[in-house]
Amino acid sequence: MDIQLEKLDSCRWVIPKTGQMRVPGLIFSNEYLLKDVQKDQSLVQVCNVATMPGIVGYSLAMPDMHWGYGFPIGGVAAFDIEDGIISPGGVGYDINCGCRLMTTSLLAADITDLMRHLVSELFNNIPTGLGSRSSVRLSKKDQDRVAVEGAAWAVKNGYGEPGDLDRTEDRGTMERADPTVVSERARKRGIDQLGTLGSGNHFLEIQVVDTIYDSQKARTFGLFKGQVTIFIHSGSRGYGHQICDDFLKEMGNKIPFDSLQLPDRQLICAPISSDLGRRYISGMACAANYAWANRQLLMHSTKEVFLRTLGITPRELNMHLLYDVCHNIAKREEHMVNNKKKTLYIHRKGATRSFPPGHPLLPEAYRSTGQPVLIPGDMGTYSYVLAGAEAAMRHSFGSSCHGAGRVLSRSKAIRMSKGRSIHRELKDKGILVQFRGKNTLKEEMPDAYKDVSQVVGVVHEAGLATKVARLRPLGVIKG
Amino acid sequence: MGFDEQNFTIIDHTADLGLRVRGETLEFLFENSVQAMLNVMVKAQALQPTETAPIRLDGRDLEDLLVRWLGEVLYWFQGEKKVTIHARILSLSPKHLEANLHTVPYDPTQHEILCEIKAVTYHQVKINHGPDDVWEAKIIFDV
Repeated sequence: MDIQLEKLDSCRWVIPKTGQMRVPGLIFSNEYLLKDVQKDQSLVQVCNVATMPGIVGYSLAMPDMHWGYGFPIGGVAAFDIEDGIISPGGVGYDINCGCRLMTTSLLAADITDLMRHLVSELFNNIPTGLGSRSSVRLSKKDQDRVAVEGAAWAVKNGYGEPGDLDRTEDRGTMERADPTVVSERARKRGIDQLGTLGSGNHFLEIQVVDTIYDSQKARTFGLFKGQVTIFIHSGSRGYGHQICDDFLKEMGNKIPFDSLQLPDRQLICAPISSDLGRRYISGMACAANYAWANRQLLMHSTKEVFLRTLGITPRELNMHLLYDVCHNIAKREEHMVNNKKKTLYIHRKGATRSFPPGHPLLPEAYRSTGQPVLIPGDMGTYSYVLAGAEAAMRHSFGSSCHGAGRVLSRSKAIRMSKGRSIHRELKDKGILVQFRGKNTLKEEMPDAYKDVSQVVGVVHEAGLATKVARLRPLGVIKG
Repeated sequence: MGFDEQNFTIIDHTADLGLRVRGETLEFLFENSVQAMLNVMVKAQALQPTETAPIRLDGRDLEDLLVRWLGEVLYWFQGEKKVTIHARILSLSPKHLEANLHTVPYDPTQHEILCEIKAVTYHQVKINHGPDDVWEAKIIFDV
């Protein structure tokens, strides 16, 4: 399918409204990144999302966009709560897959000799990979509490501090969660996975702050050059995957797909105002809360390993949560549309919220800077910390990218890695990796991803978020 | 057509995983789809199944049935910790399926996990009956 792109400026392109599209598409990218974008079906997916009922403004795509299932990865779409829809596919199976970044008082130079041991201890103590089980076994009652309270449950039960909730989107608890809509299958899959990392592109990474771009904001975020930071990327595990699957099936049972006139079955959706739509929102909230509790437990486990391995006190480690962001979610938010305040459900499928300075939903600590926006690179290259900016509210419903974005399929990455030792290549760069899955390293090798500095460059240039710091990987554990 | 690895190919998909599966009959197509998915997910020693799980599913059409069918096998692995050694379709019509899954309990010492499949998606799912009288299916998985 030949899709016409009209250049707006150096980092924005419009797909004009054609055929069944209800709104135009708006792509954030640059000439360099667009070459790969045009090789896969992600532009088609932007057009497909534009056909969905009640969509407002544009069908958006962030600069890390690539071919997903239904929505493109990097897709953002807003729907009016009055006449719009909610789409499980627009959130994804891994509901509230997201990241958190922790700061410490440690200098990377002081722990170089212990890095190998630290990575090894993290790998041995944090359940990682498919089939891994948590040491925390939840009762049914506890599981329901996690579903309703999220990160707050974790803090109440000794995993973290109350201050962590200030530094988590939605304070780690999404409203409208109702565990009665969660199936037995989802409960079963989630009962022994709280505090587990997962596999695929999930990871836990020890980093050093390599570059400071904005010293004032970095100071507010608690970042300084040479500092050790830790990045965690994980989601709602089997609990969330099953909830999404259950509601896709239920929508498939109850809504004749032909009546929606959508080009892709994965885009099946229900009116936000319908009973089915409301029940999905409740289920999504349960999964989102599970994911926040999960990342809270992972952070707690990480802290314990650091203290034990380095033989230091909590005061000396001084590990704190900088922020926790979602990148697979639908959030109920207020935005200006044609100069009127509207309540919308913003679907971010591989995209991060990016609220600017002064936004009322930001914690007091970040009102002056804007929201921390955490962008993990691939395991061989930099991650970035940005701060939400005003243009995001004008142009992208307060959204930014979520990562580097894939450019190679997993099978292609495996083919290209033949004869190479990715493990050795990373080691030569000074990056220690421990992993479980046989193909993990090959599938996730740096060449499989876009250049994250280009992706972040577009976000910065478009004013969606501004660069604060760059982080270089030192050690990684993966499933 | 019994299952062999020539019955499926991997489709290049940027973020996820796609499979193209073939079968001489619809029943074989559905059985081969299970084998193809498991082939990608887990490396199992050749084992005799020890348990049987009866499956009954309804769907809107064949494609919907295929997604639900593979989703069922995936749940038995992810949720019940049972690895399907082989699946036998007992009856299949455009809107209804009955089958048995012959399984063994998941054992990390016997089963090497190759790839975590999170879900079977509806994205671009298609079943064709080709001019060579062979059935073919395309399925995309979230990994």
